[in-house]
Amino acid sequence: MDEKAILDHQFVIAAYTVTWVIQLGYLAFLAFKWRAQKRTAARNSINPR
Amino acid sequence: MKKALFGLYIVLTIALMFWGFYMAIYGAPLDAAQGEIFRIIFYHVPSFSVSFTSFAVSFLGSIAFLSFRRSHPDWAQISDAWALAGAEVGVVFCTVGLTTGPLWGRRAWGIWWTWDARLTTTLVLWLIYVSYLLLRRFAAGSQMQTLAAVLNIFGALDVPIVYMANRWWRTQHPAPVFGGAEGSGMDPSMLPAFFWNMGAWFAWGILIFALRIHVERRQQKIAAAEAQSALEAFN
Repeated sequence: MDEKAILDHQFVIAAYTVTWVIQLGYLAFLAFKWRAQKRTAARNSINPR
Repeated sequence: MKKALFGLYIVLTIALMFWGFYMAIYGAPLDAAQGEIFRIIFYHVPSFSVSFTSFAVSFLGSIAFLSFRRSHPDWAQISDAWALAGAEVGVVFCTVGLTTGPLWGRRAWGIWWTWDARLTTTLVLWLIYVSYLLLRRFAAGSQMQTLAAVLNIFGALDVPIVYMANRWWRTQHPAPVFGGAEGSGMDPSMLPAFFWNMGAWFAWGILIFALRIHVERRQQKIAAAEAQSALEAFN
């Protein structure tokens, strides 16, 4: 593998990694929000369903 | 039954993501001109496709909210949840597109960014929807949803401009691969990887969109219950 091919490969990996970090980060944000809601509902004795 | 179907959908989506990744890295051949760096397209283009679809859903949600807010308040709240979920998922995918694009550009053009028509209109679109989300997060009062819906409708007007930007103005961004001029398109050997990833990212987009709506509807119900109990305590 020449230097150009190695660098190209690293940039592809970086792009795919960034994509997954953003997507899974958003999923984690939704999970935290959902858990906070559950706590609020329990504290106020609300059944949101 | 509903939970089982949702579980099955999650499993299928994860399987699709793995298969899409495999096809992008190992299934598609190297591009003759660009080499390995071309593989970024398998994440970049589907991300923008999902983003624009989400903004379109958000736009329709805002129109429905404005239409129903007086006659059917319950429908209006559902529409508003769709509008918010669409905008948020759209921003997430647009962020992916705006970060994978410069990574490709650095290797292909030698620069991270240029004020080309397609890039600039996309950045403006992202900023409009980020401002929409900030408005929803920090504004209070009964008019917040209405103001957000109006902003959303204006923001959505940028989507067709972004889509047409590299057709109307030929600057730095590559010409459209699909639906472009004569001779445009992708080599048939690369199409399976492209379409598998398109399917996978749409499946993922629908999944997080559904989760976001679920969270927002719960939030609306909690807020309504809290307002009701406050009113009862006051009386």
